[in-house]
Amino acid sequence: MNIDEWRSQIKRGTLEFAILLMISRKERYGYEIISALEQWPILTAKESTIYPLLRRLLKEELLTSYWQETQRGLPPRKYYRITDRGRGYLDSMRGEWDNLLAAIDGMGRDCPESEKRPEADEGLKRDVVLKMEEGREAGNG
Amino acid sequence: MDKILNQYLDKVDRYLRPMSAADRADIISEIKSGMAEMEAGKSLTPEQIRERLGDPRELAQAYLGEAIAKTHGCDMRKLAAVMAFYAAAGLGGMFILPFTAILGAALMLCGVIAPLAGLVKAAGFLLGMDVPVIVFQFGSWTAHPLLALPLSVLMGALFFLAGKGLWKITLKYIQIVAKGRMK
Repeated sequence: MNIDEWRSQIKRGTLEFAILLMISRKERYGYEIISALEQWPILTAKESTIYPLLRRLLKEELLTSYWQETQRGLPPRKYYRITDRGRGYLDSMRGEWDNLLAAIDGMGRDCPESEKRPEADEGLKRDVVLKMEEGREAGNG
Repeated sequence: MDKILNQYLDKVDRYLRPMSAADRADIISEIKSGMAEMEAGKSLTPEQIRERLGDPRELAQAYLGEAIAKTHGCDMRKLAAVMAFYAAAGLGGMFILPFTAILGAALMLCGVIAPLAGLVKAAGFLLGMDVPVIVFQFGSWTAHPLLALPLSVLMGALFFLAGKGLWKITLKYIQIVAKGRMK
């Protein structure tokens, strides 16, 4: 049992979501993103993870970037902005995230309602209706 | 900028060689900007910054890995990128990647060629010609030219699936190598 291994798996799966979410609120640069993530130990990641990840999100056109000069003698910063495509993807991720939370929540409870999910019954009913319709068509034809 | 950090950037740049000059310049500028922020914001020394960024080779490899493993489809440029990555991927990659990548690509090619050959053989038969260069033989049994067409399509599909599976394993392996550095 190694909780660190599990944590790193969670991080792997959610970092992309966290970063897109962060950038969707406000345009940000790499160092800012890394510093913000450092406030949350479960999402803390190094430059060698975040920079390549940001680059991939750029290539996938979920983000765009631009360079901006800074004051105080620092070199220019590379800012990231979310694209429409990125927003769409983020919305899907949010949906899946809610599904996951609901599922985990459902696992934890042991009330009988969670045993028979209404959607499952709905799905079954639909399948039966479809089969019956198919049968009727076959009979007619 | 400090000499230590400049040397570090030079090394990363060298390991990023498979990428285009423009991509490399962009990556190096971003790391450089991050270094300056760390120096100013967290008052880290150049040694501490180098420590934090880790091995320059691994940093470059993380970029190369992300660039290959997450794109879809299969073309020659990607194959070249896979080769470049494998050059940096270390000992395990030296055995596994060439095996899965080359065999995968070759099998997929066979998957395309086999049905074409079957089509030529069957068409030749229907036009009253024998095409002696194409023979479908399983052990001592030779298929009839017309039977050759469905058989070749079936075999082609099997080749292609096997090739695709190997190609997926190749990508998966690259992902694992690239992401093993995330901890």
